[in-house]
Amino acid sequence: MDRHLRSGRSGTRALRAAAGLAGVAYAWWAVGLAPFSAAATLAVVGAGAVAAVAGSRARRPAGRAVAVRQAAPWIALAVAATTLQLASYLQQPRRDHPTLSSLTNALLDSHPARAAAFACWLAVAAVLARR
Amino acid sequence: MTAPLTALGYALLVLAAAGLELAARRRGAGRLADVLSAALRHPPVRFLVLAGWLWLGWHVFVRVDWR
Repeated sequence: MDRHLRSGRSGTRALRAAAGLAGVAYAWWAVGLAPFSAAATLAVVGAGAVAAVAGSRARRPAGRAVAVRQAAPWIALAVAATTLQLASYLQQPRRDHPTLSSLTNALLDSHPARAAAFACWLAVAAVLARR
Repeated sequence: MTAPLTALGYALLVLAAAGLELAARRRGAGRLADVLSAALRHPPVRFLVLAGWLWLGWHVFVRVDWR
């Protein structure tokens, strides 16, 4: 019985490690696609959707209770961040109205950094999708 | 002048988030992880957050000519 449990756990670990490696390899390939192309859109949004569907099969661990007055400042901050990002995104020229992507360009201007950021983005999509 | 103002806006948001998180940790309640976890238990909120996350990924990884 104990041996079955242990082999089951190591099997799950191996499966997760294989999925992680596949994710990193995919990220490396996906960020190399031509920017603004349909292939890049499909590779990025499609992988994000697959990660979200895979993540939605997992249960969210029970968290601490949160009062509305404790959540309110975070909600206000999220609204402010969304407003600033969208206002910048809808205005031109980009150098006068930088968005998050134009500000992060300096950090993500190499293939390894971009692939790592993309792999993290996929992992966060899976975590956000947990029920 | 607009670009530095926008960058300052982002920086202030990051500082405000750090301040909120520190205050919540000191209080022992209302950390970002707790608020997010509570909000994401509601399917419509989860759907909106995921849609925003997918849009952000598309915006950062597709709509930028970084090479």
